[in-house]
Amino acid sequence: MGNLTDKPELNEKKGKIGNLDSPKNPFDYSKRQYGTVPLDTDRAPFQWVSEVAYKNVHRIVSRGYDTSEVMEEGYGIVDMLFIDYQARIPLVEEEQMLNYVMILALEDGLSMPAVMSRMVARSKTFLTQAAGASILAFGHAYGAYSAFGNRLEHYLDIAEAEGLTLEQAAELLVKENIHDEALGVSSLMLKDPAARRMIARAEKLGVAGKYIEFTKEIVKAAQNLSEEPIGLDMMGATGATMLDLGFSPEATWAILAVTRAFASGAHYIEEVERTESCRTGQTLTPKEFYDGPEDRPVPPLKDRDKVAKSGICHTIDEWTEAREERKKIVGSGHSIVEEIEDPSKKSGIKKVGKL
Amino acid sequence: MDREPLIRRKTAISYKTEEKTVMRGYDLSELAEEGYSFSDALFVMYQNRIPTEEEEKMLKYEMGVFMEHSMSPSAVAAIGVSAGRPNLPCAIAAAVSTFGGVHGPGAAHGYMLNKYLERAKKEGKTVDEMAKTLVDEYMDAGRPVMGMGQPQHIDSDPRAEPIHLRQEELEIEGVYLEFQRALEKHFHARRKKEGRSYVGVNVVGSGNTALMEIGFSPNAGWCLGSVCRGFSCAAHALFNMKKGRAWGASRNEPMVQMIDLSMIKYVGPEDRIVPKQEDRQEHARREKEKGEYKKWVI
Repeated sequence: MGNLTDKPELNEKKGKIGNLDSPKNPFDYSKRQYGTVPLDTDRAPFQWVSEVAYKNVHRIVSRGYDTSEVMEEGYGIVDMLFIDYQARIPLVEEEQMLNYVMILALEDGLSMPAVMSRMVARSKTFLTQAAGASILAFGHAYGAYSAFGNRLEHYLDIAEAEGLTLEQAAELLVKENIHDEALGVSSLMLKDPAARRMIARAEKLGVAGKYIEFTKEIVKAAQNLSEEPIGLDMMGATGATMLDLGFSPEATWAILAVTRAFASGAHYIEEVERTESCRTGQTLTPKEFYDGPEDRPVPPLKDRDKVAKSGICHTIDEWTEAREERKKIVGSGHSIVEEIEDPSKKSGIKKVGKL
Repeated sequence: MDREPLIRRKTAISYKTEEKTVMRGYDLSELAEEGYSFSDALFVMYQNRIPTEEEEKMLKYEMGVFMEHSMSPSAVAAIGVSAGRPNLPCAIAAAVSTFGGVHGPGAAHGYMLNKYLERAKKEGKTVDEMAKTLVDEYMDAGRPVMGMGQPQHIDSDPRAEPIHLRQEELEIEGVYLEFQRALEKHFHARRKKEGRSYVGVNVVGSGNTALMEIGFSPNAGWCLGSVCRGFSCAAHALFNMKKGRAWGASRNEPMVQMIDLSMIKYVGPEDRIVPKQEDRQEHARREKEKGEYKKWVI
């Protein structure tokens, strides 16, 4: 297929169009072809390539296991997670541990995923839309399992390369990341034993490994450095346990975000049951919430030249000064810096925060 | 650290204090410590009860068999979104959001069953009679009967009948399975009578029947199915993110990629000249009067 064609007559009829004939362009626009690109027969045709699963008319097969056969043999959803993500049947103890983790990860009260699900629900949507939205709450602070896990792996790599003990590696990690939301150590679980119990259960089941060991060292190092009382939190306990169960940081992120989405469905349902839908323009924002510029008259359009200010900065100094001013405009984005990288193997953002 | 609620709501689902997280009255940590499964916890979440062992087994089976489905709209969405290399949750959210009126329409199937069971009660009909009414009404109106047929597993969905069988084996069959079985019987009979090909029950027809039977509402069942698929879609997205090419258009790959330029087939209006601004109004007026554009309106 494909019909790539030169159409000199059409191009001629079109004549000059804006800047498209500028000699500064690295092309001659008037000679460009129309039509679609023929199928590439030199290479293999496109197919959905997957190491994870295939299906045909009769079967669905994940990592070599027919999923119907897996269920008929008495395995379940938790086993399937090991199959899909790790291409293996888990030990009974590993299956028990993941069940445990997922129960703890299922519900977190009116936290962000639930709130997002509820907000979407108020717009009269499908439940699936709300469940999907709840997953978007998982970032590099809330549910930051990718950031947590990749950091552990990074410092374990450093320890190996530089011959550091776990204790030394933990001290280095804490020194460089003490304020990070995904440290796994905080004041959040000082009165709640759930995180510590999770680690105890992993040890009892014999599934605790180097990540839990390292996390314990991180807790000690952080406690030594902090002036406030802190301890292992759910991020640390869950993240380390999942890594010891063999899940990658990204797989952990995915599995726990999806686990929470099961609960977001209940929050969606309750929101629909107990509140009204919200219409366009319905929600007011009281003036007392507002701390922007005072109310002011819109200048007549004819006076635009008198009131307009150019945003163009011609020198670095001008730019620096303007930038500082712009940082004061809350909501402009100038006070935020992010280093966004390809998150294929890492957490996706090297650094996020205020300047 | 600010630990104030993000929104103020009365909720009957859970509460969380500095000491514990409690769902439907049960401390989550205690629930896990006692050895309950994740499937048990979902019964507590949606139904405020600990299930029987058989019910727990049914849910575990249903979710396990539904989780992975290779290339379906949900996995394709996850892979498509991952091509731009956003954060992984974006790909998963997209995958879960593909579940609608056609892809895994669990809620629609559940509401259909409930509606006709209510009618059976009101009209004094048996389950079998009402199932026939449903099939006739849907097929007379040319509407697809929810839970029947699967575009890929055309000679019967490999997950479907085994779910029915497992439900029977676990002895947890009730009015929903009776209704669904009757629906399938009348559906097959009518298609046969009309000389049409065999169309089997699909995983929504059987799986959602089982979920409704064990007490989940249409929307709760839909959540369990569609969210559980999110697990596998995340794996597909991850595979592509870790081992595939971003963008899906590289010409350096031995295989033509997902959005290689040659994958585009165009069937829209012919190439044409953009009118100059001075001709715009006249051109636009003519175009509107001729009305040919209407055939392209979507």
